[in-house]
Amino acid sequence: MFAYRITGKLFLPAALAALLNVSVAANVTESAFIGAFDVGPQGNAQKFNPLTAPAGFSFYNKYFSTLTLYDAGFQKISGDLAESWSFAKDGKSFTIKLRKDVKWHDGQPFTANDVKFTLGLIKDPDMASLFAVRLGDVVSIKATDEHTVVLELANMDASIPDALTSIMMLPQHLLAKYTTKELRTSDWWKNPVGTGPYKWTKYLPDQYVELSANPDYFRGKPKIAKLVNRYYKDSSAAAIALAAGEIQYTYLTLDQVKENQSSHAFNVISGPSQVLNYIGINNNDPRFKDVRIRQAILMAIDRGAIIKNLYGGNAQPGQCALTLPKFVPADINKYEASPAKAKALLDEAGWARLNKGEPLEILTYYNDQVSKDVIATMQSMLAQVGINLKPRFVDAPTFGQLVDAGKFSLVFAGAGNGPDPSTLMPLLHSAYAPPKGVNRMRVNLPELDKLFDAGQSEVNEAKRTDIYKQMCRVTNAQLPWIPLWVANRYGGFSKRAQNVIWTPAPGGGRYQDSPENWMLK
Amino acid sequence: MRVRQHPDDNMASGSLREDCMLKYLLNRLLVNIPTLFAILLTVFILVNLAPGDPVDAFVPPTAILTDQQKDVLRHEMGLDQPAPVRFVIWLKQVAHGDLGYRYKDGTKVIDEIKTRIVPTLLLAMTGLTIGSLAGIGLGLLSARHYNKRLDHLLSVFAYLAISSPAFLVGIIGMYVFSLQLSWFPTGGYTDPGQEGMGNILYHLALPATVLSIQFIAILMRYTRSGLLEVMTQDYIRTAAAKGLNANKIMLRHAFPNALIPIVTVIGANFGALIGGAVFIETVFSWPGMGMLFLDGIESRDYPLIMGITLLMAVAILVVNMLTDVIYSWIDPRISLR
Repeated sequence: MFAYRITGKLFLPAALAALLNVSVAANVTESAFIGAFDVGPQGNAQKFNPLTAPAGFSFYNKYFSTLTLYDAGFQKISGDLAESWSFAKDGKSFTIKLRKDVKWHDGQPFTANDVKFTLGLIKDPDMASLFAVRLGDVVSIKATDEHTVVLELANMDASIPDALTSIMMLPQHLLAKYTTKELRTSDWWKNPVGTGPYKWTKYLPDQYVELSANPDYFRGKPKIAKLVNRYYKDSSAAAIALAAGEIQYTYLTLDQVKENQSSHAFNVISGPSQVLNYIGINNNDPRFKDVRIRQAILMAIDRGAIIKNLYGGNAQPGQCALTLPKFVPADINKYEASPAKAKALLDEAGWARLNKGEPLEILTYYNDQVSKDVIATMQSMLAQVGINLKPRFVDAPTFGQLVDAGKFSLVFAGAGNGPDPSTLMPLLHSAYAPPKGVNRMRVNLPELDKLFDAGQSEVNEAKRTDIYKQMCRVTNAQLPWIPLWVANRYGGFSKRAQNVIWTPAPGGGRYQDSPENWMLK
Repeated sequence: MRVRQHPDDNMASGSLREDCMLKYLLNRLLVNIPTLFAILLTVFILVNLAPGDPVDAFVPPTAILTDQQKDVLRHEMGLDQPAPVRFVIWLKQVAHGDLGYRYKDGTKVIDEIKTRIVPTLLLAMTGLTIGSLAGIGLGLLSARHYNKRLDHLLSVFAYLAISSPAFLVGIIGMYVFSLQLSWFPTGGYTDPGQEGMGNILYHLALPATVLSIQFIAILMRYTRSGLLEVMTQDYIRTAAAKGLNANKIMLRHAFPNALIPIVTVIGANFGALIGGAVFIETVFSWPGMGMLFLDGIESRDYPLIMGITLLMAVAILVVNMLTDVIYSWIDPRISLR
């Protein structure tokens, strides 16, 4: 299940217990929803420029708005600030019609000029925006009238509506006075003006940001007067605060969920992370050129056992680079675990001669307990077929530098997988090999490149789905990455919270969570 | 520093002593400048040797920036200059009282530090005070009840406290006193919307106590052993022979003479206390320098890391000097030269 709506009736007796627990925190404003929005992998704590942000969208969305958003099930894109949008027949332009009833928090109307300004900022290299690459095919941005924006495209790019779900719109009337460089690190972000359901009221560094309800919000005034984003450097501290009733929401790890199974203070919402965990292979390393070796590694790992014992059944096996069920054909090779077959494949491919008994270093930026257990388990499973894995845990910047420089054999990593499959393009298309991009595994499959290009220029949903199904087949047969699983992620919500919509997603947010309807009992 | 043994030395006039102290402090100050420089250089080299630069930290593993965008960032952060040049530029800036700007969001490093200094001092000083008072108090108690049940119990406590890392004690403390007993909040500096001093103290109590635990244990052991050593001296036996009661002997005669090693331990452990504060701040979401420092390391924010290192190094050097001054104040036989 993707998301739950917490309803009042179901949890009435438990809420009483929750109320007892919050008695200590009674001095907290009763009408404030306090959440640790930036704890966990979806967070981006205390970085307030959303144009340079890879994550944290759940919170940006509370005071800024985007043109488009997904539904909570990530099936369909609908409008937020945009009323409608369409591609021209020749695929050379994209027209966006805006809502007419939207005002900035300072009372000024939101117009097409704001959209033109924001998208222009993203395209400006001085902003160093992570979305620039998503708008790579946009050659010009025109505001044809007060509520219409036209993007001219060098090539059709069907993933633009998806890209727009992460781009927060900014007020031109307040920001035009800055140069892009100044704006990137400006103090304005610490007292911004948006169009979202809440207005910015206060920021105390390392403590919290406080927002207050925007009475003029275009979907109606939020029911909770204040929304507070509290900062925690340590996720276990946030989990304890949730259990103690001091906060109403935080991200939880699997361990924290297990530890708090009997908690009466909060409910746990789970959903697929949309992050595919995989073993990445340095495709330039001659030892892995033979597909049989990659297959052997996958078959040596008993994914079913790992999912059952380490993830408590809260993960789904991955069979190819894509994970959304609609892109995965039923007749795909499942690579059932079989150490005997794996051994035979390694022998056929001459692994012993290729590797000469060297240990294989596996690099990872994950350092949570579950990932450590997973790597240790894979280590012992691979040892049975004669592969000696040597784990190395590093932080993200170190990982980036080592992998960009090609100084690695294997990695254990995760890739945000969709909802639009074109998000995988920079990770798997040969044109994006470092230093140009983040195809850090140096995947170079011309067949795959062609499918990415075709998928991007196809507007017809059914045809697009077929293209990505084919992509799943190719990555399943060739195994440029060794797909493992998509694990669930968890959010804990106080039983006082009602009408809350939440689901884990890479980077958080990007879906219609309607905070204006959230309530506190 | 040296200890004078000749009785005539005690007659040295006050002004001479002050002169000596001034000279000594000046001397120490001059010696400390190269020490400080060496610390800064070492940290700068270590930070630059750590794999991954600020641009790698800025771009997460799966996001993408073009070369042109990366060049803009590297140029702005000054990373297109070789490391030795960057160090010299940084030193020059510091000499002009400028600690530079954070890479992360362009905030002035000095402003970032300013907002964290009060919470950090509050935490460290409260921890130091609780630690010193409780440590010395329990040490006295332990020595007074030497080899009795209380002494043994306190020894067990000391071994446990010394061997438990600060973050573990923090989490246990939070679990027991916040979650189970609900005596204190689980963390933070204040509750949103309640920024009064009372609310701050309410939030301070638990982290400060946790921070002081290890300090209490160490100080208690030193106080105890210091006292036990003094207690074997002849003048103590004399005092006892005169019929003074045991408590009086301990407080009036033994304790002042056992103070020197205690002050040494307080001074020497100040650095460890600051180090422990980094973890305690993280566990209790206390908005101090420790949390800021960790954030700087995670984002490879060189100017911030260097700025905080400078400040902490100066603080520790100053505390070491102060310790020496306190020596001569509590024991007139010691003069500073």
